[in-house]
Amino acid sequence: MKFVVIGVSHHASPIELRERFAFAESHIPEQLKALLDTGIVAEAVILSTCNRVEIYAASRFEPGQVFAALKQYLLQRKENLDHPLPDEASMGIYTLSEPHSLHHLFKVASGLDSMVLGETEILGQLKTAYALAHTHRHTGAKLNKAFQRAFNVAKHIRTETNIQRGSVSVASVAVELAQKIFSALEERAVLILGAGETSEKVARALLSRGAKSLIVSNRSPERAEALAREFGGRTVPFDDWSQEFDRVDIVISSTSAPHPILDRAKLEPLMRSRKNRPLLLVDIAVPRDIDPAVNFLGNVYLYNIDDLQAIADDYLALRKEEIARCEQIIAEKARPLLEVKTSKPQLNAENAGLKAFPTGI
Amino acid sequence: MDRLYNYNASVTWFTDRHFFLLAVVGYGLSSAYSVFLWRKGFRKDDRVNYLILLAAALLHTVAMVKRGFTIAQCPVNNLYEATTFITWTIVVAYLFFGLFRKLRFVGAFASHVLLFLGVFALMPALDPPHAAKPDFANGLVSLHATLIFLAIGAFGLSAVAALMFLTEEHDLKFHKLRAIFSLLPPIQRLERVMNGLLLSGIFFLTVGLFFSPFLVKEKFGVYFKSDPLLDYSIFIWMFYLVLLVSRWKFGQGGRRFAWSTLGSFAFIILTFWGFLLLSPVHRQ
Repeated sequence: MKFVVIGVSHHASPIELRERFAFAESHIPEQLKALLDTGIVAEAVILSTCNRVEIYAASRFEPGQVFAALKQYLLQRKENLDHPLPDEASMGIYTLSEPHSLHHLFKVASGLDSMVLGETEILGQLKTAYALAHTHRHTGAKLNKAFQRAFNVAKHIRTETNIQRGSVSVASVAVELAQKIFSALEERAVLILGAGETSEKVARALLSRGAKSLIVSNRSPERAEALAREFGGRTVPFDDWSQEFDRVDIVISSTSAPHPILDRAKLEPLMRSRKNRPLLLVDIAVPRDIDPAVNFLGNVYLYNIDDLQAIADDYLALRKEEIARCEQIIAEKARPLLEVKTSKPQLNAENAGLKAFPTGI
Repeated sequence: MDRLYNYNASVTWFTDRHFFLLAVVGYGLSSAYSVFLWRKGFRKDDRVNYLILLAAALLHTVAMVKRGFTIAQCPVNNLYEATTFITWTIVVAYLFFGLFRKLRFVGAFASHVLLFLGVFALMPALDPPHAAKPDFANGLVSLHATLIFLAIGAFGLSAVAALMFLTEEHDLKFHKLRAIFSLLPPIQRLERVMNGLLLSGIFFLTVGLFFSPFLVKEKFGVYFKSDPLLDYSIFIWMFYLVLLVSRWKFGQGGRRFAWSTLGSFAFIILTFWGFLLLSPVHRQ
């Protein structure tokens, strides 16, 4: 029995194509049943996420024949019959047989094949996909072993390497900074100056980690009110935002003002009135809203968009440095599974009297 | 008495003090190694530092056991022995917490305090030859000494927290990646810890100093006798009080508060033994 993988992913296939191959979760059990009924594969798991659609399968047949059959299965699905697909070469469908198929599964589980290197969401999605197939008895000894080992490898890589450490987006870096300054985000109030898209993302990230309250101040009150309503906060007129400094701990600024709206001379008395409690200033405006000189004040921590991006990039570079270590772990962990030799010869699909794939499922 | 005489005659330097000196060298090595850990931003698991401190702690334990067997009693009878005991409890506490990987970084801060205390304990004046009666035989004297040592311990730990604060604060100010990558707690929590430890230190020092007039009366028949160490202790008490009040009333927190906490403890460690030498009340 050989372990094989066929699929499309963000690496070579655009979203327009990936969505054509995507499976609705509720349909996966019946799709798996149809696949197994053909007899070309004995076990199968379908993973369908926004970044990849993959079929993991175990088959007694020659990999070349299995790939041809699985490709046919994917291309003849109803969605693809109704609307013509581009030529096969430009679709970016990949096929992997052992040992690469096993290595690929381990990489997917560990986030090494993800769009955001090292992300952990994929592991949960993979576990769900496996559980779905397992519950409906579409997996057997081969896939059970491979997936259990994949989950184990993902855990090992997460604890032994730095591949999943740190944040690689501006919003999550801002949250991590806040967590390094304040003892508990639950007691912190956030002030948003200028309701832009990035400031909204940062505010969302802070609130999702427990920040207590949100105050929005924008030149256009409608936009401020909409944002405040969305996050359960309140608004203040743009001319009065400085009066809120006594109450806030984190300020996210992204106005379109051509000159700094906050400088050292303005902040110094405000800091005194808030008894020098720590203040995190996140300036994501271009041109900058906050004069860099305020960072020289005690208990003031100023980060602009470049600072945040540089930290995110450093994190990403650090994760990339870990790839070689992760691949070494994967190769080591895959070896015992690959060394299990089967005494049965591989079958030829043409002589096995298999059913053809039903079209348009 | 003979046994004590022999102990003095054998020159302590070649026995337990020798081992303790080696332990202090270990603390020094750990302190130097910790500088590299700081530069790395505590990203790596500092197993090497843990092992250095473990080796130093073993030597330290041997030193204390040897002293205990030599004097045939618990080795906490004079300032040297009390200081080595405090240092030993700090290193043992660290070795326990250091078993948990996430807490092992504390060694990079504790090593400096251990080195400071170790060097302080090695000052010859703190370890006079034992009299027939231990220095802290009297219950009130023991209580007084214990409270003062607890105060110094609390100030020492606040200095460790201050060191952590300054490291983290510097990295945050200068946008270093290690600020968020390190295992250090948030700076606001460190500031609270500093504050709490200083409060505890002030409390112990206040209660410890409260017994002083009774001890002076017991020894000299008067409640108050001018003494450099007593004046020094009152100065330290007032200094810490001003530090805390300025934080509460005028919001003098953050970096300035951390530097003051660290500087005050360094001042105590560097000057305490000198004032002890000058103190007739404590030398008699």
